[in-house]
Amino acid sequence: MAIVLSFMPIAVGIMDSELRQLLAHVAEADKAAFGRLYDLVSGRLFGVIGRILPRAELAEDALQETFVRIWQRAKSYDETIASPMAWMATIARNQAIDLRRRSAEKLSAASSEIDESLADSAPDPEALAGQAGELRQLKDCLQRLPDERQQMVLLAYRQGFTREELAERFKRPVTTVKTLLRRSLIALKECLDGAR
Amino acid sequence: MALDETLEEMAGEYVLGTLSAAERLEAQTLLSQNSDFASAVDQWTERLAPLLLAIPGVAPPPALRQRILASIGSAASSGNVVDLARRVTFWRGVSLAASAIAAALALFILFKPMPQEAPGNYVAVLQPEGPGPAFVAAIDLKDGTISVKRLGSQAEAGKTYELWAVGGGRAAPQSLGVIDASLKIPTEHLGKVDPATLGDTVFAISLEPQGGSPTGAPTGPVLYTGKLVATE
Repeated sequence: MAIVLSFMPIAVGIMDSELRQLLAHVAEADKAAFGRLYDLVSGRLFGVIGRILPRAELAEDALQETFVRIWQRAKSYDETIASPMAWMATIARNQAIDLRRRSAEKLSAASSEIDESLADSAPDPEALAGQAGELRQLKDCLQRLPDERQQMVLLAYRQGFTREELAERFKRPVTTVKTLLRRSLIALKECLDGAR
Repeated sequence: MALDETLEEMAGEYVLGTLSAAERLEAQTLLSQNSDFASAVDQWTERLAPLLLAIPGVAPPPALRQRILASIGSAASSGNVVDLARRVTFWRGVSLAASAIAAALALFILFKPMPQEAPGNYVAVLQPEGPGPAFVAAIDLKDGTISVKRLGSQAEAGKTYELWAVGGGRAAPQSLGVIDASLKIPTEHLGKVDPATLGDTVFAISLEPQGGSPTGAPTGPVLYTGKLVATE
C-alpha cells in the first residue's frame, strides 16, 4: 500500500496542470477540450452531486447544469484563487444543492445510507490535485470537533442537509443545531487560521 | 478588517447551506452591500471546498456525455462577464445565490422591459425587505442606456420613487432620476462606466416627494437596493 501511495505526487501534478490547460481552452470555446475535460472530471463531479441528489434523474440534470456553467464561466476561472478541481466541485455542489432545494426533495434522515466520516473518504490521487495540504489541515481541524458536530458539518456541506433535517437526524431542537453549527464553524476557522 | 462574529457565523452557514429562507435573503442582501461579509463568504467557500475532493467518484451513465456536449452548443461562452471585479465574478458566479438570481432574471425576461438579447447587458434586481423583486434595472453597454422598470408596487399618492447610484468611488449617493412606470437614461449619467467600479456600485430606490428629492440627496426611506449581475 505504501508503495502505491508513493506514486501520488507525480499523478497529481500532471492532473492539475492538465485541468488548468483544458479550462483555458474551454474558455476559448474549444469543444474538443470540453469533451476531454468531461471525460476526466465527470465521475468526480457526479460523485459530489450524487450525495446531495440520490435520485438519478435529478443528479443527471445537476451534472448537465454544472457543465453548462463550467463552459460559461471557464473564462473567470482563476488558478490563484482555487485549484481547478475545487472550483468545479464547488460548482457541482452548488448546482446540486440549488436543485435539491428547488425540487424540495427531502432526504429524510432515515433514507440516507451514506454515513459521513472523514476516515472513509480516502481521496484518490486526482482528488488531491493541488490541495493535499489544505485537505489534511481541514480534516485535522474537523477531527478536533466532537463527533456529532463533525457529522453535522459534513452532512450539511456534502449532503445538503438543512437545519431541520439535521435536527430530525440528531434528535435535537433546530435552535440547538444552529448553535452547534455556528460554534463548530468558529472553532474550525480558529483552528485553520492558527495552522497558517 | 475583522467581521462581527455573528456575521462571520452567518457567512459560514451561508456557505454550509443551513440558513433559513429569511436568513438567506438577509445574507444575499448583505453580499451586495457589505464587502467584508462578501469576502468572508468567499473565504468560507475556499476553506470548505477541499472536503468535496475527498468524495469518491461515481461514473455517470454513458448516454449523458452526448446530451451534455450537445447542450453546450447553444449556450455561448460568456466572454463579457469577466470584466467585473475578478474575485467577485469568480465565486459569486457559481454561488448558492444562483437560483435566486435565476428567478429574478426569469422575471426580467418575462416582462421584456428593455432591449434584450444584446450582449454587454447588466441587470440589477432591486429587492425589498419582503419577498420578491419589485424593480428591475438593466444597463445596456451597447446602446449606453440604463433602464428601470417597476413591476407593481405603485408609490402612494404625492410620492415618487427615485433611483440612486451609491458607492463605486462616489462620495455621495448620485441621483439617476425619478421612476414613474419606467425610466431610461443614458449611461453617461453614471460617469465613466468602468466595469470594475460598476461591480461595486449599489443601486438604491428611495421614496421621495413628487418630482424627486428636493435636496439632491435621498430624503425618504431607502426601499430597495440591488447590485449589477452580468447577464449571460
